Order: sequence, then structure tokens, then C-alpha cells
Amino acid sequence: MKRQGWMAGLAALVVAVGLAFAIKAAWADGAQLLFNSAGWAVWIAPFAGILAAAVTRRVDPHIEGDQVVRHDGAAMLAHWTHGIGTAALLVTGIALGLLFVPRLVVGVKAAGLVMNIHFAAVVFFLFGTFYWAANTLLATKRFGEHLPDHNAISYTIRHYGLLLGFKKFTMPPEDKYFESERMAFILALIATIPIILTGFVKVAAHAMDVPGQIVRIATVTHDVSTVLMLAFFLAHVFFAAVLPMSWPVLRSMFTGRVSLDHVKAEHAGWLASIRTAVPETPVAPTSKGV
Amino acid sequence: MTDTVRKDFSRRDFLTGMGGIGVGVIFTGALGGSLLAPAKAYGVPASEGYIVVDEKKCSGCSTCMLMCSLVHEGEENLSLSRIQVVNDPYGKFPNDIVQYQCHQCPFPACVEACPTGAMHVDAAHGNVRTVDTSKCIGCERCINACPFTPSRVQWNNLAKHASKCDLCQETPYWSETGGAAGKQACVESCPNKAIAMVHDVPSQTGAGGYSVNLRKADGWGKLGFPVDDAGAVIGDNSLPMTKGAEPSHPAGATTYFPRR
Repeated sequence: MKRQGWMAGLAALVVAVGLAFAIKAAWADGAQLLFNSAGWAVWIAPFAGILAAAVTRRVDPHIEGDQVVRHDGAAMLAHWTHGIGTAALLVTGIALGLLFVPRLVVGVKAAGLVMNIHFAAVVFFLFGTFYWAANTLLATKRFGEHLPDHNAISYTIRHYGLLLGFKKFTMPPEDKYFESERMAFILALIATIPIILTGFVKVAAHAMDVPGQIVRIATVTHDVSTVLMLAFFLAHVFFAAVLPMSWPVLRSMFTGRVSLDHVKAEHAGWLASIRTAVPETPVAPTSKGV
Repeated sequence: MTDTVRKDFSRRDFLTGMGGIGVGVIFTGALGGSLLAPAKAYGVPASEGYIVVDEKKCSGCSTCMLMCSLVHEGEENLSLSRIQVVNDPYGKFPNDIVQYQCHQCPFPACVEACPTGAMHVDAAHGNVRTVDTSKCIGCERCINACPFTPSRVQWNNLAKHASKCDLCQETPYWSETGGAAGKQACVESCPNKAIAMVHDVPSQTGAGGYSVNLRKADGWGKLGFPVDDAGAVIGDNSLPMTKGAEPSHPAGATTYFPRR
């Protein structure tokens, strides 16, 4: 816990410094856009994420007394860098996308500021996303945890029906992630991959002469993917953070742990697999995640 | 042996190498670039063409503006013209009508300011400074960066992108070939022949405009206009001629036309 607290504090400090740097860079007279002056940071972020994943030692979920370690430090780092980056990118990206009608950003300084915050968020987002992707490549079973199976549609309808209060039934033995979350993961993938690829094209246009037609296609694809990402993000925040039923799991995104009772009730399938894979630890030791 | 190598070189090793090499190469490249590259090394070739306006010939009829808009945008809209002619009712001749056209600057601040390369020097078409509208993100930095007032880069409020004089390089509504080596709609349409295309950088007049004399070829002075071939303004012509007043015009000039 102590280690996770330090990590969270460090991550918050990095975000704060990045944003302060972006604002300062945009607010000076004759300010440079960070996409122009520090474009290299965008290209280094994915490799930094891959390198960080390669030196990370993961801790698999296990039971410690009356709690289940659901996420290790690496999972939380990947989630929050990706999540905070996505939130900042959506806000600034939509503001920049609506430079026209209705105009949300007025004036050169304001446009520069928003673009620089977008830049800082891009670096953060790319690090988190590639950190997650490389971690997934190292343990492909983690990728399988996110993919829907044959129960996906019926479970999703039941799950959201239960959450919204118009269906009553006993939860089936769900795995670590609900089928509904796995369905949403597909939407996240569909939105994220084009956003990253087209984003690279747009960043490259700051440093080299990219043909206008390619930039035009990249811009439209980036915009459409942003709408998809917004849909996923809003749904994710609502079902994973706003609804009280999700609060135990939301807490686990900060602490890494969830109560055994909650897992028994909501994730019986996952609990069975944990008990099969890892012997139960009676006394709770310190988590050894990143 | 091969199996041993495969087993020893794990997926984690591959990612470590890939991440490390990527970070190292990009960081070294960025650091080396910033240390070794000369500071502010920025140079662009001069434009091969310049639009010049003889302000003393211009009657402010706005034909050039309508034509500019028509050939570029397909409609006669003064707001969409890349050349702007402004009437100042309080100005004295020849400052009562002012023409604002792009200077195709030797150092194009608009190009330097553009974050996406949309505003660029088109090397394939006479180095004209122009906008690739597909790359424009609407930040308006180019408009702000233009050293002239009003900015020679305009905001096209209908198509939502920056817009500026491209010497008629791209005129979808005109069949003539434009650009630095071709024709320009404003030059072709000006009834007073007050606009011309030149291929050498014209001399500047103060911070504002080019100093050109397009009157000589027309024998302008002999027509009795209130300005001679050399550009000298004759008398006070800020007010319309009143009956009985004696204009001070050159000998031989028998007719006096108020400018408007």
C-alpha cells in the first residue's frame, strides 16, 4: 500500500508538472507549440511504455485473508495513465475539434494552451497504452481476460438490466471482468487503435511534409474515433464509477484489493480460477506489484 | 543451438531491447539535434511572383475583390477575397483608398507560425506562400503572425480554414492557368490596370506597402488626372471639384476628372 501510495503520488506529480510545463509554454509571448518544439516526446512515449513493461514484474491475482488482490501496481499504473490521458485528450481534443461551430476556444493563446495540454495528455496516454500493450504481450492470458466469450450478449443485457434496476436475477459465475465490460473493451479497442495511428500521422505533419490527402483522411478518422472513445468513456465512467454497485471495484483501482465477499457474490467464476491457480494466503503480506 | 538461442531470447528480452533502443535512439536524436543544429536555421526560397498595386490608379471599384472570390470560391463575396480594397472617407488622395494584398514575404511569418504545415511555401509552383486547406486546423496562428495590419491571411468563415493569396495557383472556378508563371484574376480584371504581377521583390514603402508606378505606360499624366507619371500628387484633391475653382494641373491637360 505504501509503495502504491508513492507511485500514485509520483504519477500525480508527473501529470501536474507536465500540465504546468504545457501551460507555461503556451502562455509566453511568441510561444512555441509543444507539438513543434518537443515532438520527440510523442515518439519516445510508446518506447518508454514498452521498456517500463519489460522491467516490470507482475503479481497475479491472489487471495490474502478476507481480501482478493485484484490489480497489481502495474495494472493500476496502466489504467490511470491511460484513463487520465484519455480524459484530458477528450476534453482538449473536442475543444480543438470544435474550433469552428460552435467555437469553444477563442484566440491564439487559448488555442495554443489547449494544444499544449493535448500534447501533455498524448505523451501520458501513449505511455500508459503501450505499457499496457507490452504487459499484455508478456502475459497473453491477461488479454484473454478482456475478450468477450459466447455468453457476452445475454450476460451484458442481464448485467446492465440489473444495474439499471429493470431486471432481477442471480449473477452468473462471472470472471474477473463482467461480460458487459468485455464487450465495452472491444469498443475501446476499436476507438483506441485508429486514434493512435491517425494521431501519429497528425504529429508527423508537424515535422515533415505529409500529403494533404493523408492528413485529411487521418483527421476525419481521428474525429470519428474520438466520438467512439467518448461513448466508451462516458459509459465506462457511469457504470464503473457513478453507480454505487461498482464502488468496491472502483476502490480496487486505487488499492488493488477487493473484499472476498464481493468476489464471491459478483465474480464466482474468477474466484474459482484463482483458487485453482494460486494457493490461498492466510495472512496478508505486502503487495509486490510495481 | 537454435533452440537454445530461441529459448534464451525471451519475449521480455525482445521488449526490453525494443524499448531501450527506441528510447535511446529518439532521445539521442532529439538531444543531438538540439545541440548540433544551428539555432534558428530557417530559410525559404523567394516567391517567383508578387502582386503589386498602384494605389494612385486604383478607383476602389472592388472588381478585383469580386473576381478573386469568384475564381477561388465560386461566388462573388467581398469577404472571401484574398485582396482587400478599403475606402477611407477621411483619407486624402492617394490615401483615401488602400489596397491590402499579400506580399509573399521573403520571410513568411505565417508559414513559420503554422503548426501543421498547412501554410507552406509551394516549391512546385513558384514558391508561392499558400494554404493546404486539408491540413488547416483553424488555430489562426498564421493570421496572428502576419506582420501587416490587417493580416494578409484571412479566415474563411464559410469553409472554416485560413485563406490567402496564392497568385491564383488554385482557382477551381477559372479555366486560366494561374500561379507565379500564369495569370491572376485581379490583374486581368482591373479596369484601371492598377494591379500588376512582377517577378522581382518590389521595393517597400515604409511598413505598409510596395512602391510601384504603373502609370507611365498609360500616359496617365496627359489625361489630366490629379497625379503625374512620376507619381506626384497635384494640388489638394481631397474634396470634389467645385464649380469655378481653378485646378492646378500640368500645362496641356485640359480636362479634370474627380477621382470618384
